[in-house]
Amino acid sequence: MKNLLDRRKFLKGGLASGVLASVLGTGKKAFAEHSFGGYPNSMGVLVDLSKCIGCRTCEAACNKEQEMPAPDKPFDDMSVFDEIRHGQKRRTSEKTHTVVNRYDVPGHDGPVFRKFQCNHCNEPGCLSSCFVNAYTKTPEGAVVYNEKVCVGCRTCMIACPFYVPAYKYSSPINPVITKCKMCYDTRLKNGRPPACVEACPQEVMTFGKRRDLIKLGHERIQKNPGKYIDHIYGEKEVGGTAWMYLSSVPFAEVGFNTELGDQPIVNYVKEFLTVVPMVLTIWPALFTGFHLLAKRKENQKESQKATTPSDRNA
Amino acid sequence: MKRFVAQGYDLPFINNTAISGGKKWTIKEKLLLGLTPSQYMDQFVRNPFNWLFTLIFMVGLPILAGRFYYGLGWATHGSYDYPWGLFLGWGLFVMVPLSASGFMLGTTVEVFGREDFKPIERLALLNGLLGYLFAVIFLQVDLGQPWRLIYPMFVSLGPAAVLFLVAWHVATYLSVQVAELLPAVAEWGNWPGMKKFVKSMILGLTISGIILSTLHQGALGALFTYAPGKVHPLWYSSPFQWFYFFCSSIFAGLSMLIVVSTLCKRFLSWRCDRRFLDNLDHQTMGLAKGAVLSLITYLVIKIIAIAHAENWAYLVTGWGGYYLLEICFGVLLPIVLYTKALRNNRPGLARFAALVTVLGIALNRINTALVAFNWNLYREIPHWREVIISITVYTLYIVTYRFILYRLPILYQIKAKP
Amino acid sequence: MSKKFITAWLALLALMMLNVQPAQSMEGPDTATLDSLTDLFAPVSFNHAMHVDVVANDCAVCHHHTTGTKVTDERCARCHKNSGEANSVACRDCHNANPFSAENLQKIADAELLFHTDKPGLKGAYHRKCLGCHQEMGAPTACENCHTKTEKGEAFYRSGKFAPTPGKEPASE
Ligand code: SF4
Ligand code: SF4
Ligand code: SF4
Repeated sequence: MKNLLDRRKFLKGGLASGVLASVLGTGKKAFAEHSFGGYPNSMGVLVDLSKCIGCRTCEAACNKEQEMPAPDKPFDDMSVFDEIRHGQKRRTSEKTHTVVNRYDVPGHDGPVFRKFQCNHCNEPGCLSSCFVNAYTKTPEGAVVYNEKVCVGCRTCMIACPFYVPAYKYSSPINPVITKCKMCYDTRLKNGRPPACVEACPQEVMTFGKRRDLIKLGHERIQKNPGKYIDHIYGEKEVGGTAWMYLSSVPFAEVGFNTELGDQPIVNYVKEFLTVVPMVLTIWPALFTGFHLLAKRKENQKESQKATTPSDRNA
Repeated sequence: MKRFVAQGYDLPFINNTAISGGKKWTIKEKLLLGLTPSQYMDQFVRNPFNWLFTLIFMVGLPILAGRFYYGLGWATHGSYDYPWGLFLGWGLFVMVPLSASGFMLGTTVEVFGREDFKPIERLALLNGLLGYLFAVIFLQVDLGQPWRLIYPMFVSLGPAAVLFLVAWHVATYLSVQVAELLPAVAEWGNWPGMKKFVKSMILGLTISGIILSTLHQGALGALFTYAPGKVHPLWYSSPFQWFYFFCSSIFAGLSMLIVVSTLCKRFLSWRCDRRFLDNLDHQTMGLAKGAVLSLITYLVIKIIAIAHAENWAYLVTGWGGYYLLEICFGVLLPIVLYTKALRNNRPGLARFAALVTVLGIALNRINTALVAFNWNLYREIPHWREVIISITVYTLYIVTYRFILYRLPILYQIKAKP
Repeated sequence: MSKKFITAWLALLALMMLNVQPAQSMEGPDTATLDSLTDLFAPVSFNHAMHVDVVANDCAVCHHHTTGTKVTDERCARCHKNSGEANSVACRDCHNANPFSAENLQKIADAELLFHTDKPGLKGAYHRKCLGCHQEMGAPTACENCHTKTEKGEAFYRSGKFAPTPGKEPASE
């Protein structure tokens, strides 16, 4: 089956035509070339789940810093950990950029808490899917969002592999996407750590340059043998994220999707994007050719008709 | 309407009394089908469909208005996990492939020079135009801030996004389709200059139509490639997704055309001229041939994609069963029916096959966008208001469709002035 | 620097510096008030003498090697086996109150030979040390077992008189 349409050949064909397109100058460049790469000095946060006590101070801090609407329950009300909707634990919403959830992991002493917010991907799915360019990955590492241009198509919610962006469905006049901005405007821009990071009593989150944090994370794993799963979630996932996680229980047990792979989301779309210039350049030529061929046949037919007038019904 | 025809009412254009009588067309001929207002009301009240439509609008329009007044959170579940619901799942992802007929018949007639498909070309173009128009209307219902629809065009451009391409292409293609249908409008309004002008560009228009259609039909599929973990692997393929959608739009558009033309023949025969009615069987078979070829291609690609991603194991799961059901009902069954129809030259069977295909494609799109989406999480049953709004907008589509078919020379030809 | 920064976050939560009360024994003070970050929580009155008893005079349980006691953790002992008493045994003198300030991050980046790059800030050090032990020993672990919320704290957590209207369930559907 496989060699019916070998993928590599198929792709090569696409790429070759892409090249052809750019040579001809008709292919839209933006479609073919599209890559951010991580900013070398970007900041990040290393979240050590093993230290979280589930106090929800970070949720309160975010609510205050980001001037979010009042919560449904006080931030020191721990009954929220039992909330289940559609079989799912709490998630980010138009009322909150971040949530802490409790997981009871079999074989593990006591509950495990997981703080969760936008992971500020190096090559964000949300950003690459947005057709009004509302998202920006800043050199500081934050993925920020300009609500002034948001049309409300909600493709970014589809494209975020972590189910992060929420939407202000409740507003008829100015519904926009809401998501964690890594406190970019109020803090990160001025070299200060996000509010939730600073507020956490347990210092679950370490703020620093992303590449330092990766080193630090591996060191922490190494220096505490047996304590952590030997993996930094977010170091490589979907092209790497600015927020990364250490855990002492398997990541899959505490709500992480461990099947995302290391490819940035935009790579899955590239296959189509390479087709675009190909169609743009080849189709016109191809179909004009068909048309000319058809016309020629017709003309031949007609001249035949002229010579044999008895054959009238075509 | 049929009764009026039977009673010998003089319908404008069909026998061209208005023209041959040298009388200028008035509102009466153009809009009221040559009837007096009271006669028009009479036929309106007599038609049971009108009662049904009125009922739907009476219930649906207030709810539609409510969606804009109270916001999306009122009309839908406002789900963060399922940002796209019925408005897009049905209105965009189903409507657009079913409207691919326009570019295909345009290509057949104008590019390949198959003049024998001319009688149905205009219906195909209209089907395309209206389908797209209402897909955009559905989109407007779904967008959080519909008044910002032009932002991706002029205000803030995100050219690397697939939806950017969809937006631009659908917008351009809509205008192409309007242009392609202008001759019909010109004939109806009796503006020959306009018709001549469009005729001169028809080949260019048709070819740009092919390009735009290939890309945006494919792009709708490519939109789902943004969600590799969310769409069930059987419905997902990074390299082939765009081709699934493009290829299936071919048989979807052709089959929809068969279905619509059948409905026209059944319910609007008074409006069809002999040229349309007499050629219909032949054309149905031609369309069926096209449909079956693309159906087979589609099936092959689907199998290749499963092999390519080594997804065989999924086939034996519950999802696999559902997937096979979709394939059997939506692809295999049509292939068998169409082939039988073609072999035994049974247009009736081809029409049935077309209906099955249309339903099959709807199933596929709904499955990709809603059912197999978030397959790891939970299913979202659309809010009842969302369902009613969708039905209302779709009814609006049908009514508009009918309004135009009644009047413009789509199913009939206006004979040239003596 | 915004006003918000100064008011709300620089001095967040209740603990920052160890205010040492007059010493009564060689082992340390009887009580200590932890009050430098008194903002959202009232100061902690820490019964030092009682905790000294609990750990059977082993200062290293909390103070690492700084009091001159022998460290048992072999990872520390590699360097600090023979370390004497440090100049200061106060937590705040090693654990930075603002661990993630640009200055501190720069300081760590510049100190090429620095070994303790992963040293928690003061607030983190307190809570990890206290809570870690409390969890193990079955001692109380809720926030207000050690420090009560101030009015500002209640506003911050939207609790007490700032609680949202009861009975209102989370956003529908
Ligand atoms: S986690 Fe989601 S919302 Fe955040 S940057 Fe990545 S793709 Fe965007
Ligand atoms: S980084 Fe800022 S916006 Fe994001 S969750 Fe933390 S406090 Fe909220
Ligand atoms: S503030 Fe820190 S310890 Fe408390 S829930 Fe948040 S991450 Fe966990």
